Amino acid sequence: MSMLLYKAWIETRVRFLAGLAGVAIITAWDLQHPRFNSMWKFLGIHDYGYYLWHSLYDESLQQIWAVCAVVLAFGGLIHEKTSGTVSFSLGLPVSRRRWLFTRLATVLMESIAIGLFAVLVIIVGSAAMQQTVSLSQVLLHTALMVAAGVFMIAVGNLCYALFPGNYLSLLYTIILLGVPYAWIQLQMQRMRIYEAFCAAHSCGKPSGFVSWAAYLTYLDIPHAMGGPWQLNWATIPWISLLVIWTLTALVLGVTVAYGDRSDY
Amino acid sequence: MAAVIETVDLKKNFGEHEAVRGLNLSVQAGSVCAFLGRNGAGKTSTIKMLLGMVHPSSGTGSIFGHKIDNEKESLLIRQKVAFVAEDKRLYDGMTVEQIVRFTKSFFPRWNDGFERRLMEQFELPPERSIRQLSKGTRTKLALLLGFARGCELLILDEPTEGLDPGAIEDVLQIVVSLVAEGTTVFFSSHQIAEVEQIADHVLMIDRGQLVLDAPMDQITEQYRRIQAVFPGPVEERDFRIAGIENVRAEGKTVSLIASHNVDSIVEHVRMLHAGSIDVVPLTLKEIFLGKMKARS
Repeated sequence: MSMLLYKAWIETRVRFLAGLAGVAIITAWDLQHPRFNSMWKFLGIHDYGYYLWHSLYDESLQQIWAVCAVVLAFGGLIHEKTSGTVSFSLGLPVSRRRWLFTRLATVLMESIAIGLFAVLVIIVGSAAMQQTVSLSQVLLHTALMVAAGVFMIAVGNLCYALFPGNYLSLLYTIILLGVPYAWIQLQMQRMRIYEAFCAAHSCGKPSGFVSWAAYLTYLDIPHAMGGPWQLNWATIPWISLLVIWTLTALVLGVTVAYGDRSDY
Repeated sequence: MAAVIETVDLKKNFGEHEAVRGLNLSVQAGSVCAFLGRNGAGKTSTIKMLLGMVHPSSGTGSIFGHKIDNEKESLLIRQKVAFVAEDKRLYDGMTVEQIVRFTKSFFPRWNDGFERRLMEQFELPPERSIRQLSKGTRTKLALLLGFARGCELLILDEPTEGLDPGAIEDVLQIVVSLVAEGTTVFFSSHQIAEVEQIADHVLMIDRGQLVLDAPMDQITEQYRRIQAVFPGPVEERDFRIAGIENVRAEGKTVSLIASHNVDSIVEHVRMLHAGSIDVVPLTLKEIFLGKMKARS
């Protein structure tokens, strides 16, 4: 087992280190970004913790983390078929499922490490800016981001199996997952900001706006990853998580069945 | 001798293309069995089916009594079998030392002494990345990773492709030494001279079907080319007799390839009033080419 993890680590380490660098840059950028003093105050938000949550866990950190997770998931036996090493891998006494789950375990561990690295950057960066931040909230949001984000890893992994090829399959997968993800996130955030603005200024909502947006809430994985601002045992979106984990299990089931049936 | 590899009516279709068509083969323990055929004849597909990489469309097969189409039994097979694939592609991100350590971890009977000996003999640089190795060196590394596993069966797909003559000789000697220690070897090759040098059994496949299954001794003893010159023109249909594999008639001259029944064939040729009859032994290459011509 350890050697399979070692192989997966060797294959993903460059992407992992790039992910750490990306997360550090995005997080540090958002920490010192002047938005906190302009846009958010316009909306009546003066809490640094709220800004951190909205700016990072509900937006940019979540986005970069999701990209990292999907990019880290790139690989597997179908990809090895293209690169020519699958005959060596499947010549070893290791089942196809073990290959798959070892790689996914490595990706999950690396994704968690990237999330925790962001926590470190937030803590250090906030201290440098003389801002206080709740470590428990940041850790809880990281845990929620990873817990809901496993769906992205599973779907990305399935895409790599279904679109065999070299780096083109990575591009297809990022487009296929990234476009709806970003679009839904944007639409739902607009809706929430609009609702917050309306609540603050007692203005009406245009008819039909909420009804079609309401359907999007069922697909709003980004919001499930971001969760509510103040996260505790009671506010963790358990039902969303349950649905996401069920879907993740289904996607993994399809990937396993497809992998078992494939000829290499 | 017990059969190590057995297949019964094994078939594989890739869409409309029938890659393997009802293959029945048997490889005996302790033998060096060569698996010959043209490009696209179905050799690699057969080997991949034996190792569980490709699912048979129908038919069955077993290695050491374990069924090839059962995932759990396939794992048991791969514990006992060392496979060296045709393309010899290995993980580019690892160094030579790392991939040796990686492969070793899956095989409890890994032969450390043999590994060290081959590292020296093949002059493999332990610290060098696999990405930086030449084709020949990568082939040597892939062979080391197969040979040192301490497995009971070696399956080699074009093992010497890309090697220089000296290295080919080394590899063949190593194969012979492993067989002397009780390992069974099943290998595909286009290098017929190598096959003649080490194989004791030959399986020939064409368009997914077995066209020859015989011990090497029998092939060299029984296969003959019979060349005869007749007083007048003859036709191929005059030579429809048991044992004749291939007939080439050109005017008054005929060339026959006989797999058995040579005496009766010669007698038949005499009865057709042949002026001169030459019976000469055949090389494996000639037999191979004769078989392929006969089928096309």
